Amino acid sequence: MIRITGGKIFDPANGINGQVRDLCIDGGKFVSSVIGGRTIDAAGMIIFPGGVDVHTHVAGGSINFARAMTPEDHRRTTAFIRTQSRRSGLGGMAPTTFATGYLYAGMGWTTVNEAAVPVLSARHTHEEMRDIPILDKTSCVLMANNEIFLDLLEAGEFERAKDVIAWHVWAAKAYGVKAVNPGGVAAWKWGKDAKQLTDPIEGYNSITPGTIIGRLAQIIDELGLPHPMHLHCNNLGAPGNVWTTLETMKLLEGRRAHIAHLQYHAYGGDDWDTMRSASAEVAEYFNTHTNMTTDAGAVLFGDTVTITADGPWQHLLYKLTGRKWGNLDVENETGCGIVPYTYRPSNLVNSIQWAVGLELLLLINDPWRIFLSTDHPNGACFWRYPEIIQLLMSYDFRKDCMTKLSPIARERITLPDIDREYTLYEIATITSAGPARALGLTQKGSLGIGADADVVIYEEEKDIAKMFSHPRYVLKGGEVVIEDGDIRATPEGREFIVKPSFDPEIESFLKPKFEDVYTMSFENYPVEMERLEHADIRECINGQAPSPPRTAEKEPDRADEGVEF
Amino acid sequence: MTCTLGEVKNRADFIVYWGGNPAECHPRHFTKYTLMQKSKFLPRGRKDRTMILVDIRETKSGGAADIFLQIRPGKDFEVLTILRAILKGQHVNSSIVAETGLTLEQMTDFIDRAKKARFGCMFFGMGLSMTRGKHMNSAALLTLAAELNAFTKFVAMPMRGHGNVTGADVIMRWQTGFPFGITFNRGYPRYNPGEFSTVDVLVRGDTDAALILGADPGATMPQPAIDHLARIPTIVLDPKVTHTSRLARVHITTSVAGISAPGTAYRMDEIPLPLKPALKSPYPTDEEVVRRINEAVARKPHWMPADGPMTIMQH
Ligand SMILES: [Zn+2]
Repeated sequence: MIRITGGKIFDPANGINGQVRDLCIDGGKFVSSVIGGRTIDAAGMIIFPGGVDVHTHVAGGSINFARAMTPEDHRRTTAFIRTQSRRSGLGGMAPTTFATGYLYAGMGWTTVNEAAVPVLSARHTHEEMRDIPILDKTSCVLMANNEIFLDLLEAGEFERAKDVIAWHVWAAKAYGVKAVNPGGVAAWKWGKDAKQLTDPIEGYNSITPGTIIGRLAQIIDELGLPHPMHLHCNNLGAPGNVWTTLETMKLLEGRRAHIAHLQYHAYGGDDWDTMRSASAEVAEYFNTHTNMTTDAGAVLFGDTVTITADGPWQHLLYKLTGRKWGNLDVENETGCGIVPYTYRPSNLVNSIQWAVGLELLLLINDPWRIFLSTDHPNGACFWRYPEIIQLLMSYDFRKDCMTKLSPIARERITLPDIDREYTLYEIATITSAGPARALGLTQKGSLGIGADADVVIYEEEKDIAKMFSHPRYVLKGGEVVIEDGDIRATPEGREFIVKPSFDPEIESFLKPKFEDVYTMSFENYPVEMERLEHADIRECINGQAPSPPRTAEKEPDRADEGVEF
Repeated sequence: MTCTLGEVKNRADFIVYWGGNPAECHPRHFTKYTLMQKSKFLPRGRKDRTMILVDIRETKSGGAADIFLQIRPGKDFEVLTILRAILKGQHVNSSIVAETGLTLEQMTDFIDRAKKARFGCMFFGMGLSMTRGKHMNSAALLTLAAELNAFTKFVAMPMRGHGNVTGADVIMRWQTGFPFGITFNRGYPRYNPGEFSTVDVLVRGDTDAALILGADPGATMPQPAIDHLARIPTIVLDPKVTHTSRLARVHITTSVAGISAPGTAYRMDEIPLPLKPALKSPYPTDEEVVRRINEAVARKPHWMPADGPMTIMQH
């Protein structure tokens, strides 16, 4: 039992904006009162619900490939030293599993969504996730380029396609479905790409990326998955791709969707020389269409390693940079590539990318629908989130940073004209309450009675990045895991999964397909429940269309004056 | 640039084995994945594929190849560099060509075929990765594969050794960031293959004890390493009697993974396969033995710090 007293509560899920309240915790959840137990004096401190990352890459074949690709990086990186309670590990651009848990929790994040799991290596992903301590996890299985699924769409067999998706979600022990560059990754297996929604797909006659996107969104809504289709749009990273993005959004009207790393999909211009920010066009459309949520996929200047299931984009990066390139295609499902990369303010394209991520966060006016992400490790490593928070909360700091950009870059962006500054309430929304709601994790992102007791307590101070990098306390499931900069406990996390219903007959349909195209026996394919660390099966929203994301009510007045940021 | 074996099976119409002898080392490779299988995209199976074997000597695998390129020992890097130059249309000095054991025509033909393929795959074996130049060779081959992607889909994949080497490699990577050659002697993982690899540590006599699982170094390592293993307390977990178990202080007989012990094996393309035991064994699994050793160690007073600095910056 724990009582946290005297802190200023920022709990957007319950409309609390800086009021001083006590929090009581028992059995890992918030309760109305406790008698006895430890008391944490949080007088003058700021209290947030634990952070929720809606889109990150922390486990599985591709990030593990990135670890191996960047050994030179490990030599100048943070090392975690083994103690009685803590495993050793390395931080850096692609942190090792134990370090991933320590680094996220050390910053106050307690739930993450691994956004790209190929079905075939789902077992590997779950094994890695078990080795990420403290954090609760969800994962999204990649389906939009699955050949069995595409063959069914081509044949017009919608109901059977739906069963195939549902079967795969359960077989992979996933929580949601991710669609990456629909149709394009399948084409990439032949070295081609499908860039526009009406482009034909190599190897097929009737279906286009548009068909796949529309059908998949419909299937996920009809299956009632708590998290909508998690979509990585076509044409990622290319100048002028704003038109593909807007077309995709129009196609999705009437459907729920989460659009991943929007920054990479909001560019104007015709080529690399004329590229410009198109965040204003994207934000304008997005603001008036409340069926969608998104995450920023923001970029920070510095070194990282880019890893995505979008092979064509990785190949383009390789051609642009000539740097080490790894490409890992997973049979019958998707592709994935890896390139070490440095974003530089002296580079026009990088400057625009940096600005677009921030512009989207500032121009999209509903913090319940856009969330903080860097598409870790693609735009920047997750442990740099506090820098982004500082950029969002301080116009002056943004102006300072913009002095590093070339005059040409400044003409191609709108960031200099935006003076919005995020409030703490809005930061708590985009880092916790909003992503939790988009994931359909009702017990996360909230400090209300009955919610999981995941809490971050910050000592209020003027240096925003410092304050958000070094919380005074972090509690996960009611247990103090971080205190005064030290790891105090490393409990195991949970994995949330769903079991959408499907006709069991689909297995006799699928089995011969496997014999035909896969190299693993059908019986060996599904991940066993016992592979998962504390699996928690969440309900599907059956029998009714899931409701669209809640939109912003007006922010309640802040209860105190607080520090002037 | 790698892919899974299923994709090779379904799509690869151009296959290169470089410095490997799959007919003997990976006997099911040809029939199961690379050559013989028919697929939606390659309906005629073997007839739709071209296979080139590159090696320093003729092996049994040669019989399965359409083209055999015999190169001089230690010239892999030169051949790969010339292939890259041809691909880029650069002039190649004929005296360098002469040293490789191949002709310019042979190498130009290789590149022409590679460019015309719809989906190419290069497998590279120990013959490439363990000879002079080691990782320089693999890097050159990977670069060639990456550059071929400007013309067609091209991937490359290492041929790993026996047992679950890939599994150990994968897990070491996610836990420590490195595949092998790791030391924890400062409390966190550090990597230096020529210094911290098992064989180097043993030859130098730097270890006080050895715990050996799923390997038989007594059969393969140089004599000074074997002598050191015999000198120190060596514990072997193995279902069978091996060279190493004979010289070990302790041999714990364990059940056989996949036959009488469950678990996971990683295929050479890093796809994990569950092992489902068909038989019961009177012997414990490796996992159970290690768990019980761990529990026994945990009952001893801790040698590790309870606290201390959480992290340090490496330089
Ligand atoms: Zn991503």
